Amino acid sequence: MAPSIIDAHDRIKDFDWTPSYSTETGRRYPTKFKIPGKTKDPFKTLVREYLSMEQEKDDRQYGGLEDALARGGAAKKSDRGWMEAVKLVLPMLVYAEYAAMKNMSQLVDTVDNPELRQGYLTQGLDEQRHTNQEMYLMRYLAKHAEDPEGFDRGMKVRGTNAFGRASRLCFENFFVNDPIEAAITLSAVTETAYTNPLFVPLTEVAAYNGDNVTPGVFLSIQSDEARHMANGYSTLAAVLSVDENLPHVQEAFDRGFWNQHVFLDPLLGGLYMYFAPQKINYLDKWQEWIADDWAGGYVAKLERFGLKLPKYFAHAAERMQWLPHTAGMLAAATWPFHWWRFPGPTEADMEWFENEFPGWHAIYGEFWAGYNALTDPKAGMIPLQALPSPPPLCKTCMMPCAFPHPGINSVRVVPHNGKPLAFCSYPCEEIFNQNPTRYLSMRAFDDIFHGVGLDEYIIKNGLLRADGKTLVAQPHVRDDLPMWTLDDIRRCNVEIIDPLQVPPPAAAASSNGSAPHGEA
Amino acid sequence: MSDKAPAPPRDFTYINSVRRKPSEYEAVNLHCQPDARGGWDIDPGLVVENNRIAWELSSTKLDHPDWYAFRDPAQLWQRSYVKLQAEQERSIERTCEDAIAGGALADLDETWAREILGGHYRVWSFVEWGLFRAAFTSARETLSDSLSAVFTFEAFDRLRHAQDVVWWMLALEKAVPGFSDAGAKEQWLEAEHYQPMRRMVEEIMHATDDWAEVAVVVNLVFDPIVGEVALSRLVGRLAGPHGDSVTPMIVRTAERDRRRNQAWTRELVRMLTADDVPAAAENSAVIEEWLAKWTPLAIAAAEPLATVYERIPKTTGSFREILDAAVNAQAEMVGSLALKGARS
Repeated sequence: MAPSIIDAHDRIKDFDWTPSYSTETGRRYPTKFKIPGKTKDPFKTLVREYLSMEQEKDDRQYGGLEDALARGGAAKKSDRGWMEAVKLVLPMLVYAEYAAMKNMSQLVDTVDNPELRQGYLTQGLDEQRHTNQEMYLMRYLAKHAEDPEGFDRGMKVRGTNAFGRASRLCFENFFVNDPIEAAITLSAVTETAYTNPLFVPLTEVAAYNGDNVTPGVFLSIQSDEARHMANGYSTLAAVLSVDENLPHVQEAFDRGFWNQHVFLDPLLGGLYMYFAPQKINYLDKWQEWIADDWAGGYVAKLERFGLKLPKYFAHAAERMQWLPHTAGMLAAATWPFHWWRFPGPTEADMEWFENEFPGWHAIYGEFWAGYNALTDPKAGMIPLQALPSPPPLCKTCMMPCAFPHPGINSVRVVPHNGKPLAFCSYPCEEIFNQNPTRYLSMRAFDDIFHGVGLDEYIIKNGLLRADGKTLVAQPHVRDDLPMWTLDDIRRCNVEIIDPLQVPPPAAAASSNGSAPHGEA
Repeated sequence: MSDKAPAPPRDFTYINSVRRKPSEYEAVNLHCQPDARGGWDIDPGLVVENNRIAWELSSTKLDHPDWYAFRDPAQLWQRSYVKLQAEQERSIERTCEDAIAGGALADLDETWAREILGGHYRVWSFVEWGLFRAAFTSARETLSDSLSAVFTFEAFDRLRHAQDVVWWMLALEKAVPGFSDAGAKEQWLEAEHYQPMRRMVEEIMHATDDWAEVAVVVNLVFDPIVGEVALSRLVGRLAGPHGDSVTPMIVRTAERDRRRNQAWTRELVRMLTADDVPAAAENSAVIEEWLAKWTPLAIAAAEPLATVYERIPKTTGSFREILDAAVNAQAEMVGSLALKGARS
């Protein structure tokens, strides 16, 4: 008779011992949290079962991809705009998975509990799985998508892209941090609150837009997340069982929620509502998954430990109405800088926006009308040139300081050691002030490339197609419109400007409604 | 002249592959980790309170201009790794089931079961646990994704074997009246003959912060000497004469992992000491220093296991012969690395 899993699990809890020859001075990742000895791995995963389960899932998922190919050009049947959204998100997402893997190897060093240590290793291998799955998907699309350019190099150019750099900063919070704070951010916030709206509705949008390739990969990834949420809950419950940890946990929770919200909500909302004809109202999904399920369910259950909803939650909720639309507008305004194409909304799209978000047209209608008028290179102008000044980038989150929308801009510019720094919101400023050193080493896109011509930026960062003259990025996905070339960009004569180094014209502040010193 | 645009590349364009097109292994692994030197990613990212950044060149004394040049000779990525280990686990499970169902355990030598399986082999699960922890924290610090992957897989190898030992003990408890592994942890912690081995494992786990040193010590010193003697020779090879057909099969899976881990570590050493690497001589010297420091400790960890050998009913040859063979084979393997450091 085979041993029972319970017996096996009870026995493997005993692997750890207190070292006597080498004290733990080599502990690499110090934490301010007190970690109790007694914690539980609710999943009791044994390696043997784990391997069998994951192999089955891998066979199904990779088999599905191969089948989709065998059925004939599945990747080419997707909506072309939607493919650009996938092109945008995959290189960013890969770093989230990779950073999560690093978090797990830190926790193995930090958390003295053999049950959780084994759970962390299996999650570490899961994160390796997700990294490999997303890379495989990206390469699959580089091989088979209608327009592959961008899929082939997103991993290289993400580091010099304004939004790519913001994504790196967001996900670096998963491990470049106190290991327990990092775990709270990763598991209690991102995996528990955001992986559902990321992987579940995203597969719906993909399927609505004819993409039969991406959903299989994303749903297979999501099937590992329940185990990760449980790991995160166990870690959180363990630290919350020590009273003196509560203030640290609350601060970590506050910061973790905000640093994920500032990047993930604009990103996800932009993906779900722009790019493709079939849309999902992200605000509805946010309400369902983040406000109702996470804040109202998961966090409410933690109240018995004294933990409260992140203090910035209400502020985030207020911003949600317009956040994704502003992000979409900013990403579109800077379209030549990216490794993806950004199609403007059609009349039907704009009607959808106004119906779903009454007032949308008054705020964004003019911009998108202008955008669509500038899709043809003959127009000789890119939308960025219509802005009086580009918004500065936030020192804490690196997102443009233009939120929640151009009419209500919460940008704050403050001096720091004789230099002006911009913050997109009061929480970002507050978080920066808690630990300025943490954020000062990473330079924003506009600080790095200030004074560089757009044409030079495009060449140096490999953003030209195989012909050496046509841009990877385009403001449309249509075959009946010409593609923009480097010559077209040169005619526009655009230079990258860091508005904190060159004061914008006085008119700029009034026309975009910004109030550079404090909340507008 | 045709206006037809050149065909798009239809593959990743940023991987410096040895072949015309990146292999599947290269495509799904390489450049997921930002470059500690900046490179395409410009700067080192966020800073932790103790001034640490995501990845630091100082995480190892070794130096290479391009850490992404490392390739696992086994070309494993998650899918192929999981497939490989799932197959090994199914083999173990079936072998064990068949042995129990077929009554093979009736032939099990009682002293072998008590002293070696319930005692010594169970103690080995603690060794694997310590090495799992060392490998997984090293995975955090490595300077490329291809190195992170081999360390993560090695961590998993170690935990897999540790759990297999425990699982096999539980199966024996159910199938063999009176069998128990109780007291193994006390032996690990207190028995004199295990203390040099425990000391070495603890020093690898806690005192060795250089991730490359962990690879060199574990895969080029500890495993070839201590693993060879304590696991392969004392447990794997001698099980058969004691009516034990299951244990050698489990040990062989660990040996297969060991060969793979030794192969990638040798490849790492080769990469770091190649003639075209500016720091080749310095790298060689550092590796030689590590080998010189740890090899005597490994021999000292294996020597007291003579006590365990004496308890095995049916042996061939002396313990000294076994130990000498392991030490000589390790020296020969290290010699084949052709290190050319200052010490040579």
